[in-house]
Amino acid sequence: MQKLRKLVWISLLLMVVLVFTGCGQQGETSKQDEETIKIGTVGPLSGDTATYGVSTKNGVEIAIEEINNSGGINGKKITLIPQDSKGDQAEAANATQKLISQDNVSAIIGAVLSSETLAAAPIANDAGIPMISSSATAPGVPDVGPFIFRNCIADQVQAAQLAEYAVKELNLDKFAVLYTKNDYGEALKDTFVETLKSLDKEPLVVESYVDGDNDFSAQITKIAAQKPQAIYVGGYYTEAAKIAQQAKQKGLEVIFLGGDGFYSPKLLELGGDAVEGVIFTAGFYDKDPDENVQKFVAAYKAKFNEDPDMFAAQAYDAAMILIEAIKKAGTTDPAAIQAELAKTKDFPGITGKTSFTENGDAVKDILILKVENGAFKRIR
Amino acid sequence: MFLQQLINGITLGSTYALIALGYTMVYGIIQLINFAHGEVYMVGAFTGLIFVNMFGANIALAILGAMICCMLLGVLIERIAYRPLQGSSRLSALISAIGVSIFLSTLVVLIRGPQTTSYPQMFKIVLYQVGPAKISNLQILIMIISAILMIALHLIVQKTKVGKAMRACAQDQDAARLMGISVEKIISLTFALGSALAAAGGVLVGIYFNAVFPTMGMMAGMKAFSAAVLGGIGSIPGAVLGGLFLGIAEVFGVAYLSSSYRDAIAFSILILVLLIKPTGLLGKPIQKKV
Amino acid sequence: MFNAYYLQVLVVVGINTILALGLNLITGITGQLSLGHAAFMSIGAYTSAILSLKYQLPFAVVLLSGAFMAAFFGIILGFPTLRLSGDYLAITTLGFAEITKVVLLNMESAGKALGLAGIPQKANVYNVYVLVIVVVFALIRLINSRVGRAFQAIREDEIAAEATGIPITRYKIMAFAIGSFLAGLGGGLYAHYLTYINPTDFGFLKSIEILNMVVLGGMGSIPGSVLGALILTVVPEMLRFVQDYRMLFYGVVLIFLMIFRPNGLLGGVSLTKMLSTRKRRNLETNN
Repeated sequence: MQKLRKLVWISLLLMVVLVFTGCGQQGETSKQDEETIKIGTVGPLSGDTATYGVSTKNGVEIAIEEINNSGGINGKKITLIPQDSKGDQAEAANATQKLISQDNVSAIIGAVLSSETLAAAPIANDAGIPMISSSATAPGVPDVGPFIFRNCIADQVQAAQLAEYAVKELNLDKFAVLYTKNDYGEALKDTFVETLKSLDKEPLVVESYVDGDNDFSAQITKIAAQKPQAIYVGGYYTEAAKIAQQAKQKGLEVIFLGGDGFYSPKLLELGGDAVEGVIFTAGFYDKDPDENVQKFVAAYKAKFNEDPDMFAAQAYDAAMILIEAIKKAGTTDPAAIQAELAKTKDFPGITGKTSFTENGDAVKDILILKVENGAFKRIR
Repeated sequence: MFLQQLINGITLGSTYALIALGYTMVYGIIQLINFAHGEVYMVGAFTGLIFVNMFGANIALAILGAMICCMLLGVLIERIAYRPLQGSSRLSALISAIGVSIFLSTLVVLIRGPQTTSYPQMFKIVLYQVGPAKISNLQILIMIISAILMIALHLIVQKTKVGKAMRACAQDQDAARLMGISVEKIISLTFALGSALAAAGGVLVGIYFNAVFPTMGMMAGMKAFSAAVLGGIGSIPGAVLGGLFLGIAEVFGVAYLSSSYRDAIAFSILILVLLIKPTGLLGKPIQKKV
Repeated sequence: MFNAYYLQVLVVVGINTILALGLNLITGITGQLSLGHAAFMSIGAYTSAILSLKYQLPFAVVLLSGAFMAAFFGIILGFPTLRLSGDYLAITTLGFAEITKVVLLNMESAGKALGLAGIPQKANVYNVYVLVIVVVFALIRLINSRVGRAFQAIREDEIAAEATGIPITRYKIMAFAIGSFLAGLGGGLYAHYLTYINPTDFGFLKSIEILNMVVLGGMGSIPGSVLGALILTVVPEMLRFVQDYRMLFYGVVLIFLMIFRPNGLLGGVSLTKMLSTRKRRNLETNN
């Protein structure tokens, strides 16, 4: 036992030494490459929500690779420093603080979830480092301060547009709503129901679930009893695919409606023929003949061996908007970058033309897509 | 709607029960809350997927393959993370189990990526009308396979010599050792059996929900642990009963109260049951040794 | 060298220390396994945040209100459940934590799923560490008092404790209340440091994280809890350089530390007995 104990202390000591040398190395490299521009990302790379964070990081990576291959920004290469938040607020705050004071990044893309963004954004704003979130759709995110921007469709706008489309164009009458109990689902549900009411319609039944749930049979049985024509699912593709599957297994034939959280090739893969006919709002369409879109899709597929989803596309655009601002600023001074970012108008990205409003929220086109023959098809 | 929801509840409950069995078996013998059990279930679902992709649509082979792989994994986990801790505080083993759980889920993320993967559709879904309710062949299959596995486990524990040795270890390890039972072997065997059941549960859940993801073990493990305690931890019929009870409670909570409070309803019922029966539905009364 | 990042990690270490000390009193010293410490933390965080946001009360007042609210819920939960033993108690605390989370998710005044943003940032490295020091000394005094010895007697043997005339239910509830009070205090500091709280912050994983700190540091040892909180907060930050492999290493560290130090890093070590540790350790190894 005594020997063992010694072994432990030695291995502990070794670990500490290792960690410190690891940090030391990092410090050295950061001195060496002062000629590069450093951009950080914050998002969940582990934990329940890692799939969204990894997509976001991948999207940014593609953008940076593209710019570096064509010579960088004004001759300077960009280095990406990704940080894991585990989807946890305190971790996101720590990661953001580390990027700012340890790695001296010029700007940050992130965070990914609305909740972690609300915890991380005040830190970036106080430090005067521009931060663009490409997926924090919750109200209040751009209001944190002048240094906080976001590049995604606001929940309120897309849910309202889809409700109108469903009532006026699809002539649907009986709706059910099934939403996830987080900020995203909550906002989509509220807006969808309000818009329905403004059109003199009332949802027959409103049910909820929790992200990561597997079993929706109880909710579906409850909804089926009301015999709706359509179900609006306020949530992400993983759960949406399972909901559609289970509805089909229960013999419930309805039209599924949804938001931009549906946009992922995974929806088609997981849902199979159960998601046929699903209609949802999105900001990105991978079959868009636009040359940049096709270039992005090809590059993404080549590097990660899968099709990009919404998170990747919006993160790519966020990175491109940021790079454009750095180019125009001609410096890595965060304040100068922020000033250029604020001026962004009609930026031609792969998720449509983007402008920032006065408080840093994105104004973007909203597309409506439909699943037809196992592929997304733009219908508006 | 009542009958339909009851069917939903039983299907959900049987998946909980399968995972809960492993919890209960391990607990019965070494009084360890095996937090890594949920992750074994997740690994089982993924290995099942690999087997499905290799052997085509043969569901039996997939389940069997996953069970064997997870048996080995279970034994390995026991050797590395728990055996060195034998004799020390139960909480130390608990923390070690949490370490294993974090390790395994991160490992799967690193190998397969964090995204949800779909299970290939193995057969056509057919719906049968039972009175006012519908039941799918998949739901029937899950209930049947769960029932077979549970009965098999019950027979092993109650009717075989090994089962007798397991029960002896659960009662008193020292006495068992004196009777010539190799306690270490029995513990390994318990882990193997429990992990195999979890793997079967993983494959079944993968097929039923058509989706597997690296973090699926956490929540399922927690629910199964609750089910095992509800039924009386250490009791095998208790785990089955607890699983079914929890599944039905959850579904009826959504059906007749509110889906927003799903987990809160299920856990409130659980706490209430424990207040009335402090050792769970079928738990043995705790003997206080003086 | 001592930049804002280190300072921030230091504050988080301080907050986690208070949380771990609270759980240590319940689980380490009194021997009642709780898997729901994060629930009491959330009650403290939400109470103090709502008071700050709605009524702009002074920091000390909201912090104490949060802590007392958590203690109150600790007593409410403790009354019926503390008669349960071991894992049955653990599961009720786990259930209570899940129920609390769901209630917060549905509570209008708690901002539902969106949580509460814009909480004034009042906690800083000074007031957090003043509180850490106060809590540490209060706990040392408590443990060495009659009440503290009763707690430990309950942990060692409930029946013997009862036989010597210790009203065990009352003392268990007392331990639960004080532990929850500290959780609420930590929660209040957390809310007023991060400026944003959300029900998902206080899930099962958070409870487990705090439990890890207590067990890893050494059950029942106050310096142990401090060390546990320090290590388990700093190690994940240090491991940031391995990026994707971070949680993999974290898991391995947990397993190895437990295998090599089954009683925790400072198991059985208390400040007053630091000097005579050698003897104690030898005794332990001979067991």
